[in-house]
Amino acid sequence: MSDRFAARSQVAVVGYAHSPVRRHHDVPLGALALDTALAAIADAGLTKDDIDGFTTGSLLPTSGGHASVDGVSVVTANWLAEHLGVNPRFCAGFQGFGQIPGSVTMAVNALATGAADYVVLHRALHNPPRGRYHANPMTRAAGPMQWVAPQGYFGPLSMIALPYNEYLQRFSASRDAMAAVLVEARANGARIPWSYWHEKPITPQDYLDARVIAEPIGVLDCDIPVDGVAAFVLTRADRARDLPHKPVYVAGYAMGSPKRTRLPTHWPLDDIMEAGFEIRRRLEDATGVTVDVIDVPQLYDGFSPFVYFWLESLGLCPVGEAHRFVQEGIDAAAGGLPILSGGGALGNGRMHGVPQMLECYLQLSQRAGDRQLASATVGLACHSSPHFGGAVMYTAEPL
Amino acid sequence: MTPEAAPVHKPVPVPDPTSEAYWAAAAEHRLALARCGHCGRLTHPPDVVCPHCLSTDPGFTFEPVDGRGTVRSWTVLRDSFLPGFAEDIPFVLVDVELDVQADLRLIGRLVDGPDTPLRLGDRVVTVFDARDDGPPVPAFSLDPTAEGAR
Repeated sequence: MSDRFAARSQVAVVGYAHSPVRRHHDVPLGALALDTALAAIADAGLTKDDIDGFTTGSLLPTSGGHASVDGVSVVTANWLAEHLGVNPRFCAGFQGFGQIPGSVTMAVNALATGAADYVVLHRALHNPPRGRYHANPMTRAAGPMQWVAPQGYFGPLSMIALPYNEYLQRFSASRDAMAAVLVEARANGARIPWSYWHEKPITPQDYLDARVIAEPIGVLDCDIPVDGVAAFVLTRADRARDLPHKPVYVAGYAMGSPKRTRLPTHWPLDDIMEAGFEIRRRLEDATGVTVDVIDVPQLYDGFSPFVYFWLESLGLCPVGEAHRFVQEGIDAAAGGLPILSGGGALGNGRMHGVPQMLECYLQLSQRAGDRQLASATVGLACHSSPHFGGAVMYTAEPL
Repeated sequence: MTPEAAPVHKPVPVPDPTSEAYWAAAAEHRLALARCGHCGRLTHPPDVVCPHCLSTDPGFTFEPVDGRGTVRSWTVLRDSFLPGFAEDIPFVLVDVELDVQADLRLIGRLVDGPDTPLRLGDRVVTVFDARDDGPPVPAFSLDPTAEGAR
């Protein structure tokens, strides 16, 4: 097919590291990022002198009115390279949402073209030490905010509440159905040592009892803001074969974007779904792999409704059926479709697409320990809303 | 404008060249939206280019439009993350598609209160939410004249 990705299976993930996920670390985020990057490089059987490429997506570790300081509240690719004492040939940051698939695209493209030989891809997330995560003290609404803030519409919570309620109303679904998603995410997160929610599973009743913030979004529909860093090492497939761990190959990727100009943070359900349908088409064209053979489909869950939107737009269940599908179909330990076997963001903390990528890597490299799935051959790591994010497909063997 | 040290108030819109006609109309309780001088279609908010015809010189002019529309979604805010809204919670925000042009959307307060029963497709009219320290802000109310109005 003419749209087939030219770098299909030419790049592999060869190592990783993940810091503990905490509400607040007592070391600066930059120091945590350096330690995590060095651990990932060592895990890949390399030294920092081998690394000649860096990439990340540093946008939006925080929401609301918090300032952004490199090395403290964000860690850019350039900051990491400089403070590791490396002068890389390739160093670039992804500008948008979908930071994980976005930065994977940059790493893959750089490696496949020879712009770099070994790339460290990291993601550093920060939870501001004071105040409420979403609070914004603005008293004057200028620029884009003038169209929404004066009426009290601002920020990610009301942003996701509107399409989620649109979904519930359109398909006559109950918000109670989402308890199954939270129970699964937290059950798997409870088994992950670095997770904020390690050994802290919840019951459906815990979900139903949780405080509602922006109806139908409650506090447990949101991932918890944290300090945490993950890093991965990627290289070309020919080099990957000489390294200690089984490589996991990048089959291809697809990104989505909104088709219409909207009010700030206005995300109608159909905008989201249309982009998701397109991501599926692009992924299948790029990889030649159809979504029905994906056995590790890690869906993004930074807000719980994204699980429904990804399930349906990727075609993993019919449109309008996700709220029923999750009741019986997603218990990974019982052989269900493992959409949150890595715990997701709801089960790890706000790691922004990292849990999805990491679970694909761990499962496909047979490094998932007691969570190892019986069948792990094709993974998909989704991130963000389909219309501002994307997905990367991984395979255990080159295609 | 209200000085920074004033008591907590809701965010006050700061009109700029792209929006001053919108807020001037709101001050007179009229809804005025941007019409592209090139293709004649409405857009909200006005952008650098017209999102319909992609003209880089859209020459937007604001003109009064019919404020009736249809509810496409809503949320009830039970917590507040912006100044000045704490005493208002719970309050309802509605996502409204205006009749005047397909997919032309506004988000605003529903002034009928948090216990108002709502359904997708409910009909609303534009009203204006008066403020002590800034222009009135476009908002919505269920249309009492709509067929099947409750």
